Amino acid sequence: MLPKIWRFTLALLLLTGCGDKTEVKVSDAPPPAQKDVGKPVTGDWLVIHSLSDPELLNPLTSSDASSSEVLNYVFETLLTRNPKTLELKPAVAATRPEISQDKLIYTFKIRQDVRFQDGRPVTGEDVLFSVKAIKCPFVNAPFLRVYFNSLIDAELVDPYTIRFVTKEPYFLNESVLGGITLLPRHYYDPENLLQRISVRQLAQDPAKLPAEAKKFGEQFNRNFNRSPLGSGPYKFSHWKTGREIELARDPNYWGNGKEGIDQPHLDRLKFRIVNNMDAALTLLKSGGLDYMEVLTPVQVVRGTNSERFKREFKKYEYYAPTYTYIGWNNDRPIFRDKRVRQAMTYLTDRKLIVQSVLFGLGEVVDSTIYFFRPEYDKDLKSYPFDPQKALALLHEAGWQDTDGDGVLDKVIDGKKTPLRFEIKVNSGNAVRKSVALVLVEELRKRGIDARVRELDWTIFLNDVKNHQFDAVVLGWQMQTTEPDMYQIWHSSQAANKGSNAISYKNARVDEILETYRREFDPQKRIQLYKEFQEILNDEQPYTFLYVGKRASALQRRFEGVEVFPDGLRPIDWWVPVGRQRYTSVASAQ
Amino acid sequence: MTSYLAQRLLLMIPTFIGITLIGFLIMRLAPGDPAELRAAGGLGAAGGAGISLEKRGAVDEAMAQWRAQYGLDKPLHVQYLVWLQNLFTLKFGDSFKDSQPVWDKIAERLSVTIKLNVWSILVVYLVAIPLGIYSATHANSLGDRITTVVAFGLFAVPLVWAATMAIVFICGGDFYYLFPPGGVESLDFSEQWPLWKKIQDHAWHLFLPVVLLSYSGFAALSRYMRSSMLEVLGQDYVQVARAKGLGEKIVVFKHALRNSLIPQVTLLADILPGLIGGSVIIETIFSIPGLGQLGFESVLARDYPTVLALFTVSAVLTLIGILLSDLLLAVVDPRIAFGRRQQ
Repeated sequence: MLPKIWRFTLALLLLTGCGDKTEVKVSDAPPPAQKDVGKPVTGDWLVIHSLSDPELLNPLTSSDASSSEVLNYVFETLLTRNPKTLELKPAVAATRPEISQDKLIYTFKIRQDVRFQDGRPVTGEDVLFSVKAIKCPFVNAPFLRVYFNSLIDAELVDPYTIRFVTKEPYFLNESVLGGITLLPRHYYDPENLLQRISVRQLAQDPAKLPAEAKKFGEQFNRNFNRSPLGSGPYKFSHWKTGREIELARDPNYWGNGKEGIDQPHLDRLKFRIVNNMDAALTLLKSGGLDYMEVLTPVQVVRGTNSERFKREFKKYEYYAPTYTYIGWNNDRPIFRDKRVRQAMTYLTDRKLIVQSVLFGLGEVVDSTIYFFRPEYDKDLKSYPFDPQKALALLHEAGWQDTDGDGVLDKVIDGKKTPLRFEIKVNSGNAVRKSVALVLVEELRKRGIDARVRELDWTIFLNDVKNHQFDAVVLGWQMQTTEPDMYQIWHSSQAANKGSNAISYKNARVDEILETYRREFDPQKRIQLYKEFQEILNDEQPYTFLYVGKRASALQRRFEGVEVFPDGLRPIDWWVPVGRQRYTSVASAQ
Repeated sequence: MTSYLAQRLLLMIPTFIGITLIGFLIMRLAPGDPAELRAAGGLGAAGGAGISLEKRGAVDEAMAQWRAQYGLDKPLHVQYLVWLQNLFTLKFGDSFKDSQPVWDKIAERLSVTIKLNVWSILVVYLVAIPLGIYSATHANSLGDRITTVVAFGLFAVPLVWAATMAIVFICGGDFYYLFPPGGVESLDFSEQWPLWKKIQDHAWHLFLPVVLLSYSGFAALSRYMRSSMLEVLGQDYVQVARAKGLGEKIVVFKHALRNSLIPQVTLLADILPGLIGGSVIIETIFSIPGLGQLGFESVLARDYPTVLALFTVSAVLTLIGILLSDLLLAVVDPRIAFGRRQQ
């Protein structure tokens, strides 16, 4: 699972697959009208659409979006984010950590009133165990563990204070450490196998670890996949494979009535698994669902605009922090020249793409940073659709149709090269394919011979990682929190299957990215990234396309609904007594 | 007969090994690496490319560990032999996806798939056999032509389209609400309900999937039935039956029908694997957690143990189905005698 706070830091690192499961972010919807509905009360259920079964419900080893959506209600982290400002704030920790002068040591104090859902109190031992579980090399969470690489030691100062030691200063370390999911030691490690193994040991060679570590890993991977237990506001009740997952509000939740802690109101959250979007919308209309977090663009434009629908449901539209781009392989001779890349952007009718492919549900962008972030540079030049300018640039760069075959060519490295390339897209993503087709159509008219190739996702990914492409249409998730663009744009990341798949290399950019990571002053970081974005804007290593909008539909009986930068937050919702639809015996406890 | 049976059973062993070998190779030689998928966080967020370089080494190491844990680091032929060896002790291993035993995952989903398939096979037979008889007894009449056109028309309707139309128009959207648009039970379903209510609820949910799974099967089966019936109707003994003054009903249903059913016995071979086959399309569109869905998801996730287990089970059922239908053929048709030399 990726706790919510974690997703901020991890989000960037995930190439978006189908674009369907990404998280929702900043709103452009008006704030909700404050009607006189009284104070929030408990009761009623929320039936949520889920497109697929989670793989498993293990707080560390599950990694898909479906499971983190569920587990976020069951588990808590040391720190969380203020949903409005996205600033870090304490959750299970009593305050934000104390950071040492050299920015290497982080000391967290833990609240003494936190309880797990089985009533046992949370102590520093549980926090220490949670860290050990992540660090244990036999736990099936290699991806998660990578982010804790710089954590080299952790120890208890007193029963409610824990100290973390990190390898190097990095401004996002507080966010990473604050994102540690709190696991009950007595539940996940009943034999206390990890007790005698220190975090320092776990960080070293796995071969030297005592047998207990391995035994723990095997048990943890196998036995805790369908019955999560944490300290969060909702308890896991059941999971009927392929049908539904049910969570029930914990009446004895430690955070009840505590200030600064999210107050749950709905008695049950039911995640109903419906694999087909058409069926899900029909089910919503017939009352079988209350909430669909994602509607397809077609569903937004058609199928959700009848009077009847509007009476029953409210639609929310807001930006989802994922951008789609065309990446030009900077290693390919034809794309080595930045004028060619600029020409490609001039030839991409991005407004038309948003209008015709996304039905207007998106915004053209020009940067790798999310436009609601302070780091975003508002003064960037936006390349309009301008074929004349594009052709002028290409001529300037030496591209002419010398042999009259209708395709531009140029002598590169002593070899006559036609302007001919292939755009790869992953199958199953109609939007990206349409984007490529729109562009290819335009390029043909201008004497550029491009074609689209559709590949199965795993094969496609393999080609991208190995730089086996001329151009690709892909997406990145952006961070709504402090961004770190090192892994996409640093030249070192071009080698060895790194994320810089287009092999972008610029010495000044490298320098900025490195300095930025060690800079703890937000204002200075903003300045650094301004320059960085200007360089990218000029060089056009990507043709940035758009940030899409997400649309959700929610039954109107719910109150307290607000759109936050990170999307909608069902944890805040409640239903006035007269409008409640479901009652449950369990809620009467 | 006994020696024939023994011979057939022995022959099944190399056939079975051949099938598993091919299945194993197809699955394993297809591109895609489960370790990469796992490291990258499942299929939905798949992005092994999204790991920065200094972390890449750590991830590669972790993936190597993961591969070793599941024996994927060994050469392919060794892996196959290990798998085969486990198979003979009926061990299918654990799923890569959730570390649960593959058997449990299959068992969990078996009942709904079988339910779905039993009903749809029944519907196909109950509709197609009478249809075939009607077509044969009224050969070349207008009615025969209409049923033929309708059956083939249905055969040509794409399932995806039909299912989507059904959901949009009769499942409670903006039009009629006759059936639920998915799932196998109602939201408020409870184990405490009386039996009739549970059955009613399941029937209501399964009605559309069953009908949709069935309609394309009418054409083939009714054609088989029509032609075998026509053949029998033309035979001398049917003429004799008519000549001795028996009513047309008795001639058709008592004398002709029985013999014309003999060729249908061979179709039994398909029924057995068909029971667990499951339809990926219907199960996905109607959110039915059955084996078709499991197989499809497992292939996408390169969950080798699950895919191979499903593959093996259906291979075994197919082999048994073929054997059974051959044996049954001898039972219903005394002219066929296995193992006895023709005198």
